[in-house]
Amino acid sequence: MTTNRRNFLIGGSTMLGAGILGAPAVIGQAKPRVVVIGGGPGGATAAKYIAKDSNGAIEVTLVEPKAQFTTCFHSNLYLGGVKTFEEITHSYDKLASGYGVKLARQMASAIDRDKKQVVLADGSRLSYDRLVVSPGIELKYDSVPGWGKAHEEKMPHAWTAGPQTQLLRRQLEAVPDGGVIVMVAPPNPYRCPPGPYERVSMMAYALKKAGKTKSKIFIIDPKETFSKQGLFQQGWERHYPGMVEWLGPKVHDGLKSVDPATMTVTTGFETYKNCALVNVIPAQSAGKIALDAALNNASGFCPINAENMQSTVDPGIYVLGDASIAGDMPKSGFSANSQAKVAAMMIRGELTGSRTFPARYTNTCWSLIADDDTVKVGGVYEPKPDKITASSTFVSKTDETADIRKATQAENVGWYSGIIADMLT
Amino acid sequence: MAAALRPDIVPLLGGVGLILCIATAAGSVLASGVSKGDKAFGEYLSSACVSCHQASGKASGGIPPIIAWPEEQFVAVMNSYRLKERDNPVMQTIAGALNDEELAALAAYFGALALQPDVK
Repeated sequence: MTTNRRNFLIGGSTMLGAGILGAPAVIGQAKPRVVVIGGGPGGATAAKYIAKDSNGAIEVTLVEPKAQFTTCFHSNLYLGGVKTFEEITHSYDKLASGYGVKLARQMASAIDRDKKQVVLADGSRLSYDRLVVSPGIELKYDSVPGWGKAHEEKMPHAWTAGPQTQLLRRQLEAVPDGGVIVMVAPPNPYRCPPGPYERVSMMAYALKKAGKTKSKIFIIDPKETFSKQGLFQQGWERHYPGMVEWLGPKVHDGLKSVDPATMTVTTGFETYKNCALVNVIPAQSAGKIALDAALNNASGFCPINAENMQSTVDPGIYVLGDASIAGDMPKSGFSANSQAKVAAMMIRGELTGSRTFPARYTNTCWSLIADDDTVKVGGVYEPKPDKITASSTFVSKTDETADIRKATQAENVGWYSGIIADMLT
Repeated sequence: MAAALRPDIVPLLGGVGLILCIATAAGSVLASGVSKGDKAFGEYLSSACVSCHQASGKASGGIPPIIAWPEEQFVAVMNSYRLKERDNPVMQTIAGALNDEELAALAAYFGALALQPDVK
């Protein structure tokens, strides 16, 4: 059905001209169509819920080039050797077999907003009545002096999960005892606020386990403070004494440059030469396809209506997850999953007249510091006229008992299985 | 999970839930005294729960299954989080954001779910 319609539309664009294709949705004549760009926690969840809850009344196509999804969440656990790569990699197949989602295994190359079509990498087009844009982040390769895309093998970012994550682990395993690691931390706003600091924890965990406790990790941070700061810093002192040093901008006086050829990092105060590993996490924006479609504002991210995740630029488009400006919600997989369920309900309501309810959102982020020592932060959120606003939040406390931290790690493990089941099965 | 519920607070919380339910006319009250929430509303609200608690009823790690519970017990457990009688800050925050009508809706929805086989 999809193929036939797509062929017709492609043929139609040649023979009949754009006028017909630009006509409003063909509700009443055929199944309404939803196209979802991006198979992360936002896109996969939206595709599943729209297909599942509409019982086949809406045709859903998920555009995602990768056959399998490697999660950014828990990729730090892979880095630390706590999880295998297979354990953080999952198939999309059950979205098709279980719910009838059509999988378009290609890159979406453009959004033709006037014609309400998504252009795929092979030039074919998918028409939509509603479009979900959940492309994640684009790395700003020009945001760190001396570093760029050409250097991501020498100094990995590993901020999109996959081969970069595996590369970073290989480099970590090769760090000699006494080797210096520098992490260039990102400025706000960025994907996964506690992520860099959980990563440092897992790097130190792996080094300690390998007996390389003379190694040292320096974090060059452009931010004055960071997520769960007191919890991480207490954990580093407790588990990895002398192995981790966080430097805020007043201390390092700014990152001046990195030199991948000599593995050097230069700040206003210090030069780190012959580093064994440099992990550059650059500044970020919404995914490129969202920028190309001009769904963003000056911040580089996409403004949305807090009540439904609908783009404020184009009412036919919903933007989810890291690419969106979600007010008080952090850019996390959990947030994207939560936003996707709100958008799915609203889209169903628009296309089939099903019941809708006022939006509400949730998030929790767990971070592993050491074996059975996990902390969490989270909240519940509601739409306000200006933004999605936290109505209640929580964060783990310093000096919690070992039992609480162990129970929190058990939650973290259970949550991972839960969100994967919610997204993909 | 259910077994760990403190028996001393169940009758109290169950009573409070029922009184509030009648007072706010949140859902109909059956002759048995069991509140029946709006399942469709509960299904939507459940989207916040099933990011962790699997809708299939499968348990994993430290996240217990929450399907097929008696509705009164579901409401009582959630009320104990709301009143901070039970400790978990995630659950205290989630429960604290729900009113009686919403708890009744969730209890009705999850209570009616049966253990599901894996999607093939």
